[in-house]
Amino acid sequence: MKRPQRYWEDVQVGEELPGFSLEINLRRVIQQVSGTQDWYPLHFDPQFARRAGHQDIFMNTGFLQAALVRVITDWMGDEGFLKKLYFEMRRQQRPGDVMTCKGRVVDKYVRDGQHLVECEVWAENEREGVTTPGRAWVVLPTREGT
Amino acid sequence: MAQKFDIEEVRKRFIGMETPPAKGRYPVEHDPIRRHCQMVEDTNPLFLDPEYARRTRWGGVICPPSGWLALYFASLGPWPPAFEPLVPVVPAPGKRIINLSQEVEWFDVIRVGDHLSVRRRIVDVYQKPIGIDPEAVWVVSELVVTNQRDEVVCIIRNTHLFHRTPEEVAAAQQEGQP
Repeated sequence: MKRPQRYWEDVQVGEELPGFSLEINLRRVIQQVSGTQDWYPLHFDPQFARRAGHQDIFMNTGFLQAALVRVITDWMGDEGFLKKLYFEMRRQQRPGDVMTCKGRVVDKYVRDGQHLVECEVWAENEREGVTTPGRAWVVLPTREGT
Repeated sequence: MAQKFDIEEVRKRFIGMETPPAKGRYPVEHDPIRRHCQMVEDTNPLFLDPEYARRTRWGGVICPPSGWLALYFASLGPWPPAFEPLVPVVPAPGKRIINLSQEVEWFDVIRVGDHLSVRRRIVDVYQKPIGIDPEAVWVVSELVVTNQRDEVVCIIRNTHLFHRTPEEVAAAQQEGQP
């Protein structure tokens, strides 16, 4: 069955992108290493992380990026195209946290013939609030087929 | 006594430096995409289901638009490991690395079967203290990922922080270093 498609005309500034939550636990840490092949011990070895001055291990860039990308790609539909994603790792997602990822449309416009939607996206948790703020620029199809 | 770190010398030598292109050992494959999706419970059939993806505008399975996954296929995937640092190695007092921000700009999708390469360039290097290390070094880099037709599929801009451990900072300060 085809997934729902977002069209540029139907997007409202202020509209929320449905997000999701993921429990950060040992299983997720292992999946993170498997899914990113990032073997830097900061992201799975608590002793290494503490020696570096951190309180604990924390989730890596590839994991956070995949989560923010999912917020966009779940929402935009098969015909959408993520043109640009910017995000900052300001705080950490650690074992014991529940990471929630969300988004919101902040602008829409036509530039160089492309129908663009600009969204805030972010990851947050109860311990630290927003950990990973970001911004995404998405090209959406129009109902007229451009 | 340790030699004093000269940030101006490092800036002169490294800003603008580009590494030779690295090419992924294997073409883009289904299973690393599946594992990438699995970690964030992404069940999007465009990334996972060849039959579904074949009937979309893309004509087949594509990668989630993650700069990390692009880099994985361009350089991070080999086993046995061939050390391919994310950025050209810049001398710094500390060897601990944190990725602070990333921007990924996409020009095309990546399809299963594509064969990716990456070129890395240092855009900026500067020193700015952080809580645990007054000598922390910040490195801004740009990574250009191309496909087998030498078309740019994405450009990744990273800011990495290189810092020392608290013990290393304490040891340096005992020697009268910052």
